Formats: sequence, structure tokens, C-alpha cells
Amino acid sequence: MNLIEVKNLKTYFFSDEGEVNKAVNNVSFEIPQGKTVCIVGESGSGKSITAMSIMQLIDHPGRIVGGEIILEESNLLKLSDAQMRKVRGRDVAMIFQEPMTSLNPSYTVGYQIDEALRLHHKELNKQQRFDKVVEALDLVGIPDPKEKYGEYPFKLSGGQRQRVMIAIAMACEPKLLIADEPTTALDVTIQAQVLDLMKKLQDETGTSILFITHDLAVVYQIADEVVVMYRGHIVEKASAKELFENPKHPYTKALLNSIPKPGVTPRKSRLDTVDDTVDYLSFPKEIR
Amino acid sequence: MSDTIFQIKQLKKHYEINLGLFKKPKIIKAVDSISFEVKKGEILSIVGESGCGKSTTAKMILKIEEPTGGEILFEGADITKLSGSDLVAYRKKVQIIFQDPYSSLNPRWKVGRIIAEPLALNSDMSKGEIKERVLYLMERVGMLPEWYDRYPHQFSGGQRQRIGIARALALNPEIIICDEPVSALDVSIQAQVLNLLLDLQEEFNLTYIFISHDLSVVNHISDRIIVMYYGKIVEMKPAEALFQNPEHDYTQKLLSAIPKIDL
Repeated sequence: MNLIEVKNLKTYFFSDEGEVNKAVNNVSFEIPQGKTVCIVGESGSGKSITAMSIMQLIDHPGRIVGGEIILEESNLLKLSDAQMRKVRGRDVAMIFQEPMTSLNPSYTVGYQIDEALRLHHKELNKQQRFDKVVEALDLVGIPDPKEKYGEYPFKLSGGQRQRVMIAIAMACEPKLLIADEPTTALDVTIQAQVLDLMKKLQDETGTSILFITHDLAVVYQIADEVVVMYRGHIVEKASAKELFENPKHPYTKALLNSIPKPGVTPRKSRLDTVDDTVDYLSFPKEIR
Repeated sequence: MSDTIFQIKQLKKHYEINLGLFKKPKIIKAVDSISFEVKKGEILSIVGESGCGKSTTAKMILKIEEPTGGEILFEGADITKLSGSDLVAYRKKVQIIFQDPYSSLNPRWKVGRIIAEPLALNSDMSKGEIKERVLYLMERVGMLPEWYDRYPHQFSGGQRQRIGIARALALNPEIIICDEPVSALDVSIQAQVLNLLLDLQEEFNLTYIFISHDLSVVNHISDRIIVMYYGKIVEMKPAEALFQNPEHDYTQKLLSAIPKIDL
């Protein structure tokens, strides 16, 4: 069962000079219930804009010019602003790359998790919300959750801040969690912990995850399905197993060959590179 | 020993944090008595997580930070005691490539001037000679001569990193400290810059001290690896031995945390 179906999504950016940048150009993919879909691509490939389009957080000069985003039979692009505000945070939540800048430094951690509950769960009283916040902090593995409720973000490490971001996102038990490079700014050991945490939460709550990253090794660890984006287009789409065992599109192959593989790539050998002079869009798309 | 460039002995950097007027200051031991050698022509990597002291070590070698204790011997002379013309000579031989190619290039200067700056300050070359050298360096790092008059913002991250590399090469250094030179770049661009660094090392017989937290990159390019944890060296070994037989608990933890693609 698909939770979300993105159909022919087009998000363009318009410059004052009349130029059009087709950041997301006719992109279609599905996110099955309870599964993790990864979008991989380089900077400028349109992976983050695709995620932002699902949340409808595209600002001027960008605009979603076409397509459909179907969440459980309703087209998100047809919703009014007020209806969309109810979807954000409740049905679809998002975590960002920079845990240092995406928390508000002047509010306590607990207050910021509580904010989502205040907005979307008006039926809960103060005590119930407090319990839920503490539960969320506990769920993401913050020690002494009751004491941490009143803590300000500056007192937390990068890994803990990202856990708090995940707690905010998970507080309303969203159907879809969008994670835009959530571990890129973290150390490897902390990255491993955060990835484990996301898997654990998915197992417990059945949330679908859309994971945006440029790190293929991370994709290999967590993805069920992979979408490879290049200059606004999907060039390859396959299950993680198929994609890594048998990459078909030349761009995917080039990308996979450009990372050194310990034990396989001879030390100090020159790595394969993605060739700037090749137009990878000229090859047929590999949608499996 | 003739093939040793650097001998680092019991190097320390402690920072004092004042907690209040009547409280004893707290001492943070960013680098805590580390000793190692750097051999000519090798790529020595320092790995560890943020806050482990790897960048502080690099800064002390560059004389951006003064050590609290210990010695850094460069070709036998202690650099912490250098001054005047000896210091200028030292700085010419040790250069750095920074992590962030966006903030380490002056946005108001053209590429030609950025790469020429070390030459203008440290050599007695004429303007014509400098321009010739800059164009030569640009060619070596894979840039086109017509880019001489462009500004940094006209380039992608990978191209900017090439500008930083050309600038570091300008004075014919012996050692280049590479402080996370590819971690801000896309994977495909990372491969290009790593290939370039390897090519230049062979061509100019350079020594690299490579600072990184990306272990698969480090494994690919290093001869030897130092693992740092809380200001101390916990393991120091040839790259192959470290990856095949990590001995220290922390190294094992670090290696098992790397996401791997094994098919």
C-alpha cells in the first residue's frame, strides 16, 4: 500500500530576467506504508526541493507548477493554506540537516516539542501534553527526559539536538517523516546512533520515511527503495537491493564507482569520476 | 633521521575556562601530550570525532595556535621558538587547504589575485613572472586559463577547492596540511579532488597531513593513520594494519560505525 504518490511533480524557479530553472522536472515516485525511500543525488539535483514540495514549503521565486501529491487519496496540492497547515506536523513532519540552527535557542527543548502538540492536539490538557513530551524524549533516547524538558538547546550536543528534532517530528506520530540529510553534520558514531534510532521508531510506529542524502553508504544501510535524481529528473528508481547489486543507469554507476570501497579499491588508485562532459539525461531512464 | 620532516614530542594544548571569580578555572586538555613523526613523502592522516583535537594539532603545526607544552621539531629545529626570517621561511614550506571552499576565498578578489597572494607577499618575482606562475598552477590543478579573471562565486564547490589547492602550491611547499578538504563536497566531486591531491603529491613530491573524519576516504589515500580521542592518540598504524586489525576499543567502535556497502 502506498502512503504517498508523487505524480509528475514540477517545481520551477523563476528569475527576474525571465529564466526558468526546472529544479524538479516531472518527478514521479511512491512511498509505501512503513517503508523507507531514499532520494540520492548531488547538490542541485532537486532532491531537497522535492521534499520541500511535499511539505509545500517552496517560497518565491519558486513555484509548484504541476503534478499531484496524493496522501491517502487527497491531493495535497489542492488543499488550502489552512488545510495544509493541519497536514504539516501532524501527517507529514520534517527534520533538517543542521541540528544547531533548526532549534530555537531561546525556548526550552520541552516547549519546542510541546508546540506541535498544542497546535494539533487541542484535546490534550497541560499534564497530558507534558507526559507526551517526556515520552517522546524518552523514545528518542535522551537520558533523564523529565529533567531535559527544561533544558535549552545550547546545553545539548549535536547528536542530542538531532534527537530532539526527531522527537519534535515524531510527537504527533506522523504518517510520513521527511529527513533531509539528518546525519550529514554529525560524527560517524553519532550518525550510526541516529540511523538506528530512526529504524527503531519506524518499527515501533509504522511511519514511512523519505530520506534525502548524498551519502550512498547511508542509503545502503537504511533504504528499502531508492530514487536517484540528476538535474531535476529521476534517472533510476529501484529497490535498494537491485540498485546496489545491479545499477543500470550510467549516472548511478558513475556515482557508485566514485566512492572508495575498503578492501576492493586499491589504495591510492585514481577513483572513477562522474564525467562533467557527459549529459546523463541522454540515456534512457531506468525505472524499476 | 633524514626522512623525518616533523618530530612532535609531548605536544599539549590546554585551554582554561573561567567558571567565576572565586572558582578554580577548569582546564580543557584539547591536545594532551601527543607524540608522532611525519616522514617525507607520506600521507599521514589524523582521524577522530569533533573535539578530539585533530584540528588543534594542525593549527599548532601551522603556528596559528601556540602549544601549552611540548616540541614541534621541523627538520630538527623547534618551530615554537622560530621568529623573524626563520619563521617566514618556515611558513613558506608548510601550507594548508581548508575545509570550506566558500569561506576561505575572498569573494571580492579574482581567482588570479587569490592564487598570486602568497607569491606577492613572499617572493621577489615580477608581476609578469607571478602571472606566469599562477597560470601554470591553474593548469596543474585542472583549471582553464580564461578563468583567471573570474570571481569565486562563479565556481562550484569542487572548482573552488581547486583554487585553494593552487594557492597552497604557489610557494612550492614541502608539506600541505589538508583540513577536511573534501568533506564539504559531493561524492563525485570528492573523487575528483582526491585524484588531484594524489597526482600533485607524486608530481611535486609533497607530504600531506590529512585531517578527516571520513574513514573510507582516509583508508583510500593514507600511508599511516593516527586515531585521536579526547586529545590523546589511541592508535597509530599503517593504514592497512589499522583497518584489518584495529586494536583499541575506540578504533573498533569508529570502524564499525562507518556505513559500508558490501556486496
